Amino acid sequence: MRIRNVVQLHTVNKLQAFGWPLLIMLFSLAIVLVIGAIVGSVGGDTAREGMHRGMQFNGAIFALLGPLIGFGFTAMGQYFPLALGLGLTRREFATGTALVFAGNALFYAVIVTIGKLIEVGTGGFGLSIRFFDVVYTGIGEWWQTLIQTFLLILVVSLIGAAITTAFHRWGQSFLWIFWLTLAVIVVGGVLAAVVSVPFRDAVVSIAGMGWVPWMAVTAGIGVIGGAIWLTLVRRAQAR
Amino acid sequence: MTAISTTGLTKRYPEVAALDDVSIRLEEHRIHGLLGRNGAGKTTLMQLLTGQVFATSGEMQVLGGTPVENVEVLSQTVFIQESQKYPDTFRASDVLRIAAGAYPNWDQAYADRLVEQYRLPAKRLIKKLSRGQLSAIGIVIGLAARAPLTFFDEPYLGLDAVARQMFFDDLLADYTEHPRTIVLSTHHIDEVANLLEHVVILDQGKVLLEADTDDLHDAAITVSGKASAVDAFLAGREVLERKALGSLATATITPRDGDELAAREAGLDLTQVSLQALFVHLTTANAASAADPAPSRAAA
Repeated sequence: MRIRNVVQLHTVNKLQAFGWPLLIMLFSLAIVLVIGAIVGSVGGDTAREGMHRGMQFNGAIFALLGPLIGFGFTAMGQYFPLALGLGLTRREFATGTALVFAGNALFYAVIVTIGKLIEVGTGGFGLSIRFFDVVYTGIGEWWQTLIQTFLLILVVSLIGAAITTAFHRWGQSFLWIFWLTLAVIVVGGVLAAVVSVPFRDAVVSIAGMGWVPWMAVTAGIGVIGGAIWLTLVRRAQAR
Repeated sequence: MTAISTTGLTKRYPEVAALDDVSIRLEEHRIHGLLGRNGAGKTTLMQLLTGQVFATSGEMQVLGGTPVENVEVLSQTVFIQESQKYPDTFRASDVLRIAAGAYPNWDQAYADRLVEQYRLPAKRLIKKLSRGQLSAIGIVIGLAARAPLTFFDEPYLGLDAVARQMFFDDLLADYTEHPRTIVLSTHHIDEVANLLEHVVILDQGKVLLEADTDDLHDAAITVSGKASAVDAFLAGREVLERKALGSLATATITPRDGDELAAREAGLDLTQVSLQALFVHLTTANAASAADPAPSRAAA
């Protein structure tokens, strides 16, 4: 197995794999810091407290997570054809890429966790802001953030790879069916929640089911995405 | 030893049979030409032989095994594809570094020399390279990999005449020093004709001809001269092609013993048909028979 070559394929361009996501993250963090400084100096302590509460839903961290979502797409869309072109087998590509997904998820999860520890320890960098300590990456203990962020990145990578592989296999019609199905589920869910009170209550109770069940659901989605990807990639042809 | 053999190899796509019942046999340590017009099935055949796409039916043996998902076969195979896609963020140097790790016989010093020689801007983004520079990446990998089985699919698209000649010289020199099996697909036949030891001509997914180039020299001759003398010469023989220009005519025929003497006595010129002329002749004849609404072709 030439796994090392597949890993190298994904990481040979250091700036792309690590440089840009981190730079964008720092840039985004800088903006949040500036906002925190302005709010603190203009609004005083009450404003700071409100900001600290409100910012747990602040999605600035997606400046880091966003580019990583695309990672699954490019792995299959751009790296798979080159891997086949260089005589690597699908099995080698899938194994190496899965390792890269996991390594990538771990690398960024550790960075987010360290960021969170610093953020919480310094009272939001002395400005009461929240960047790492938000609901998307977990507002509980540090190890929860580590696990949650790791799972989140790994799962979106696997799903991205699965979608791209299915698109390769079935073409544009797959994308239409996929997005339509997703839209029907989302719109249907929202409508049902608006119309039916029991349904809304059920949704609220599911949403509040706690951290452990949520992680199990996330991992479950990842397992399904990963299984679909690994099944399809073994029969994927060059295009 | 046989490097590649296929029996009844067929690849069908929803709208078209890209390859139809292809049975060929390529010996190892030779340079094979895979000739055919655009869309003849050359790339599909090479994609099948390197496990990039899956056959609809038929058998194939590559270096003693089936190539599909076979690490042992694929690590000894390099396939330089004309339409190879590269990641958007890659520079030529990135691809070369990965190729160096993927091919066991890779010669880095040779690769460096080739990069210089073909003036490949290794640090520039690949998507900013010209067609010729893209081809140069393939040439560097294909040669420096020194893979026992090397496929070149139209390797010199966009290269200028100097670089093209350089490629043929490099290929021949390195092949002589490190014998290996090379399959070269092209539709610029005259330029490579004297490199090739064996040719397979594909047309519309079928094998039109498979032969050693030495044998092909005797496959057809052209006779030319005064039209009346040419016609007299051709009397009672099967004519592959005949063209007339005023009072002069040329015709292509299968040679027979004594032709040379007879032609000289009739004041006619005899010339060997070039590989390219033979190729053009065979594919046009095939297209003509395809246009003929015979039941066998109409069904296809």
